[in-house]
Amino acid sequence: MNRAVQETDYDAFSCKVSAIAKHYLPRQVAGEEKEEGEFVQLHMAYAQGLKSVSRRAYSKVDRAVKSAQPVMNYGTYLRSIAIDEAIACFLKEHANFGADAPVQVVNLGCGSDLRMVQLLSQVPHMKWLDLDFKESVALKSRILKDNSLFQRELGPSEATETAEYSTSRYCLASCNLNDIAQVAETLKRFTTQDCPTLVLSECVLCYMKSIESRALIDYIKSFYKTGTWISYDPIGGDDSADKFGKIMQTNLRESRHLEMPTLMIFNSPEKYVQRFDTPPPSTSVVTMWQYYVQSVSSEEKMRLKALQFLDEIEELEIILSHYILAEASWL
Amino acid sequence: MEIDNDVPMQDATEETLDPTLDEDALSKVQEGPGSSGIADHKASKPLQLDSGNIGQLDEWIEHLGKCQVLSEDDVGRLCKMAVDVLQFEENVQPVNVPVTICGDVHGQFHDLMELFKIGGPCPDTNYLFMGDYVDRGYYSVETVSYLVAMKVRYPKRITILRGNHESRQITQVYGFYDECLRKYGSANVWKMFTDLFDYFPITALVDNKVFCLHGGLSPMIETIDQVRELNRIQEVPHEGPMCDLLWSDPDDRGGWGISPRGAGFTFGQDISEQFNHTNDLSLIARAHQLVMEGYAWSHQQSVVTIFSAPNYCYRCGNQAAIMEMDENHNRQFLQYDPSMRPGEPTVSRKTPDYFL
Repeated sequence: MNRAVQETDYDAFSCKVSAIAKHYLPRQVAGEEKEEGEFVQLHMAYAQGLKSVSRRAYSKVDRAVKSAQPVMNYGTYLRSIAIDEAIACFLKEHANFGADAPVQVVNLGCGSDLRMVQLLSQVPHMKWLDLDFKESVALKSRILKDNSLFQRELGPSEATETAEYSTSRYCLASCNLNDIAQVAETLKRFTTQDCPTLVLSECVLCYMKSIESRALIDYIKSFYKTGTWISYDPIGGDDSADKFGKIMQTNLRESRHLEMPTLMIFNSPEKYVQRFDTPPPSTSVVTMWQYYVQSVSSEEKMRLKALQFLDEIEELEIILSHYILAEASWL
Repeated sequence: MEIDNDVPMQDATEETLDPTLDEDALSKVQEGPGSSGIADHKASKPLQLDSGNIGQLDEWIEHLGKCQVLSEDDVGRLCKMAVDVLQFEENVQPVNVPVTICGDVHGQFHDLMELFKIGGPCPDTNYLFMGDYVDRGYYSVETVSYLVAMKVRYPKRITILRGNHESRQITQVYGFYDECLRKYGSANVWKMFTDLFDYFPITALVDNKVFCLHGGLSPMIETIDQVRELNRIQEVPHEGPMCDLLWSDPDDRGGWGISPRGAGFTFGQDISEQFNHTNDLSLIARAHQLVMEGYAWSHQQSVVTIFSAPNYCYRCGNQAAIMEMDENHNRQFLQYDPSMRPGEPTVSRKTPDYFL
């Protein structure tokens, strides 16, 4: 099961590479051409790194990129920019306390996510902790250490026994999120309790059992005094005629031995966000379809439409309505 | 013809249709239409069935019925025969009742077999398919080969219209091209089928009353006679009436609108009612859109959408439907769920894509 979950990182990464190859990502914003160029460079460098470290992983990514269809590229684009925007929003709120006021980010199940590279250079008062399974972290640290681009951006890693990659501001460490004692130890070692903290979980909670994700949420919420949790996940759908979630569970179980134990429990946006148990004004949740309709500008929609023939709006709506971005804050 | 002034039609088509395909896909096309040679020696009259070619066709149909692909040479023979059937069909192919009208199939071969179980076997039941046989599902080759073989074997019993996916461009994005490469090791079979698609009729008229087509209406078409005047033997164009017939969708908003698909238009109830009135029709039957119950009425029963791929892409959870029309034009919808996928004979089991 752990391995099945771990391998989902190759899906996420190959989706991202495909969306980059087809020019969905990065989002185009006037005046940010330099950052956009860096974004592409970083991901291509990581893909090359993956090729030299694990041919097997690379060939999976390569195959997936070649067959990616427009609906997947759309969804990947939306997932990526919705999370980026939520992070930017958190950083903006905490910038009010002055440039020196520190913030920290804990990226749970970070996989191949490379957000930290650009954000660390853009936000000097930020620290970043990447956590994932041992094998995933080992792979990522090898790629980061082998490449001069990452070395230049992140700075060289100090020798440490507790983390795979460690600088004064960035840390990549292994941690089994199902083991609360280990989580507690890791967070105590690498983060500060009273620093405003952003917790990221991108398709992470959905693979955990209800009781274990509950324990993780409770622990993290009690550990950090001030925090915001940003979580992207699938939801099964709560309409009795909606079979999407059940089919998804069956498909993934049969073909990949991948379980999504809470997909049909937290099956609506409302139920999903309730699991964070934070009072209403400090929580929000949107489906990716709502995000597409409401938050993507019409210029950007036109730009996306010109990239590939997306011929199935109905299918896109069904799929995107089953993925949400939830935000929960506590003080 | 009335065009809604709010809609910048010229701009819309120019902006949205141009760079529709990525460079990879464009670079795949090495040779133009006709390069497969299947239409190099067209007959001057429709193919005559005799005991020789009937035996051949029955053998192919039996083989394909087991979800096994034909050899490349046999696909070539089949496509040549099909050209000599389809080239003599009309842009508006007349069809008699009783007939069972079906929507998108999209390479879901086992569900097509389920469709024939639900609707009754062909040729005992007459069928009209409204396009989109290929792409998305894993068995586009088997599906389109089977339907074309049935068409050649029972030309009066089955009608196969062209959908927007029966096109060189779209099949390079949505899977048929890749499937042909995977199953045959070259693009030859893809070239043969896409050359054949140019000959598919684009609409049908059931008993002069029900107008059937894949997509919908066009601002450039007011009468069915105007459809008859089109030159359909070509790749589906990026714009214009033939494109619209294969790409448009009905919409709740009146008048013509920009299609979110980037080709064709949306058309309102006013447009459908006017078209049905002008052409003395009782109904427009079309496919093209995923509808969760397999069929959906719009425009106060001026238009019906029929979608015949259950659990579309093995992921969407929708029902499928077909519409039976009897001798008295009574209509009945038959809904069905996906068949099981037994054993996955040709390609290894593949998960539909999810964000993980």
